Amino acid sequence: MIAELAPKFEAETGATVKVDILDYGSLLTKTTADYIGDTEGYDIVTMDIVWAGEYAENGYSVELSELIERDADEIDVDDIYPNLMMGLGNYEGQQVAFPFAGYANVLAYNKTRLDQAGLAAPTTMEEFVTAAETLTKPDDGLYGFVANGQKGPASAQDWMQYNSEMGGAIMGDDGMPTLNSDANVGSLKVYRDLFRNSAPPGAAGYDWGGREESFRQGVAAMMQTWSVGAPGYYNPEISKVVDDVAITTAPHSGDMAPSYGIGGWGMAINADVSPEQQEAAWAFIKWLNSPEIHKEFNLMGAGSFLRKSEMTDPDLLEKFPFLPVLAETFENGNYDYRPRIPEYPQIQDFLGTAVNSVLVGDADPKEALDTAQAQAEELF
Amino acid sequence: MSAIADHLPSGLIEPKGMAFATKRKVFLVAMAVPVVAYVLVVGIWPLTQGIWYSLYDYNLIRPQRTKFAGIDNYIEIITDPVSRQALINTAIFTFGAVFFELLIGFALALALWRDDRFNRLALALILIPVTITPLVVGLIFKGLLAADYGMIGYFLAQWGLTDPRGLLADQHAALATLIFIDVWEWTPLVALILLAGLKALPSDILEAASVDGATGLQKLRIIVIPLMLPAVLLALILRTVDAFRVFDTVYVATGGGPGNATNTLMLHAVKQGLEFFNIGRASAIANLTLLIIALIAAGFALMIRHADRKANGK
Repeated sequence: MIAELAPKFEAETGATVKVDILDYGSLLTKTTADYIGDTEGYDIVTMDIVWAGEYAENGYSVELSELIERDADEIDVDDIYPNLMMGLGNYEGQQVAFPFAGYANVLAYNKTRLDQAGLAAPTTMEEFVTAAETLTKPDDGLYGFVANGQKGPASAQDWMQYNSEMGGAIMGDDGMPTLNSDANVGSLKVYRDLFRNSAPPGAAGYDWGGREESFRQGVAAMMQTWSVGAPGYYNPEISKVVDDVAITTAPHSGDMAPSYGIGGWGMAINADVSPEQQEAAWAFIKWLNSPEIHKEFNLMGAGSFLRKSEMTDPDLLEKFPFLPVLAETFENGNYDYRPRIPEYPQIQDFLGTAVNSVLVGDADPKEALDTAQAQAEELF
Repeated sequence: MSAIADHLPSGLIEPKGMAFATKRKVFLVAMAVPVVAYVLVVGIWPLTQGIWYSLYDYNLIRPQRTKFAGIDNYIEIITDPVSRQALINTAIFTFGAVFFELLIGFALALALWRDDRFNRLALALILIPVTITPLVVGLIFKGLLAADYGMIGYFLAQWGLTDPRGLLADQHAALATLIFIDVWEWTPLVALILLAGLKALPSDILEAASVDGATGLQKLRIIVIPLMLPAVLLALILRTVDAFRVFDTVYVATGGGPGNATNTLMLHAVKQGLEFFNIGRASAIANLTLLIIALIAAGFALMIRHADRKANGK
């Protein structure tokens, strides 16, 4: 969609914007190589929230604090959720990127099926587990729950979300990994039991695509997901639950405060490029994130919200009735449940193998997380 | 000097500067320079760099922490359970896939030996899997074998023949399933190589054996298999080297999972190098893979030469 909008910027400013569309893995590989080799291949790079630590430690990108302060009025900084400004771009005081696509972890559920079972949308994890089991009817091909189970980032990221909602944490206060803490082992047991008792049989092999499809086809009744997928549930071309879907805030353990996950993308300016290119890149970032263009971006279905004003915009609300849920999540969210440290990719990999091993019955939660912890400790 | 030479300009008889032989040598060396340069740039230099990097604890994300590590990266391939598992999986995959490809490929080649219209058509049809990109093969089988919606996997799970999660999500069946996929794709190539070997067999020997009353089995054991050895070894070398560096099918079908049940050396190397940017470790894995492949290839090459000599009665 950025590629679709770019010509408009070119027409307005006379600048040339060439958008390179890459998959997640290639994006990380190509841009890291670009930064390390000082090859100035890209002026602007979209930065996943979890890469912030790596950017800050290596000085890959231009520190944006001064530019943001200089153009604060033009940007209307106060209209941007502070959690997104911090989470999607700021790491330990360094503004390594400017936020442009905020994702909220939400609970998508099939309201029709919950109503038929006499259930309300769960607000606690305990209610969530009970509802998932109640809604599961394997003989009818219907299940109460679905999440990512595939080895790798898919299962690691989904479990970290549930883990955070049940009081677990990946890193301790001392900055060291705590993968095998009692809380984490406990939450992995719950996650495993949800898969055993309430998920479609193939879910242990699902990544985001399989999980979303399972929900859109009406097979699974509840799913925690990034809000970016939500516009798809309301699209009759790809969804069978257009009239059944509802979205609410993610559940959490009854004995703790909500911990809503925040994710998404920032835009970083390559520190290697010339000051003129940096200024031009900054102009594009400001333009894309301006209230008018960012609204247009989202009306196109980007699902990448950023501004408070977007949450109450009548045009956007008409198309995306779940925006108040996003507002609540962005206001009270937690962007550090996946640690944004340079060692994150490896930790995610260790967890991705551990969680998947547990889900396929190859290891018990304690054993799997002990192994992951031992691997993670070697990184520090 | 002859009388004719007396009338010729002296330069034609005795070249100025270098002698002809030297000039020829220089010319030949000059002709070889581009090739040598090419090999140095795309072969030797990266290889040397790879060996050099493998001796360091070198991560692109944390270049400031680079330090000399000696052979630690190589030792860790054995001591690290994930790397060790990848090495074992790769060996099992290679042996299993090549064994069945050779066995079935040989049977297919024998079945297609007779040159008639049906066999020519059958050969063309069975070669279709070879033409499909391995990555696409992985995606196709992933879809076919999915327990929830796969055209095969759904029924296998429903009938209780497989784990309810499907073959590729079952840690006891996933590697065997990947071997099956590789066998499905590459057996026709092996059959083609062996068929070419069969067609090249001298027909007079086989006819003589028939006249002498040899049975089909005897002809196969005493004549066909020994004479086919060079073709068999060629198929073995091609498939073993290829299977040992398997990546794309596994990457899309299982991602190395469930757990580490299908993690292979190449998958592990790519993850270390391109996801974690752990260049030292990735280089060590790549070098080890290269060494193993080189040893396998050299072993087979020696066997081919030996079989050739034997076949030619030397």
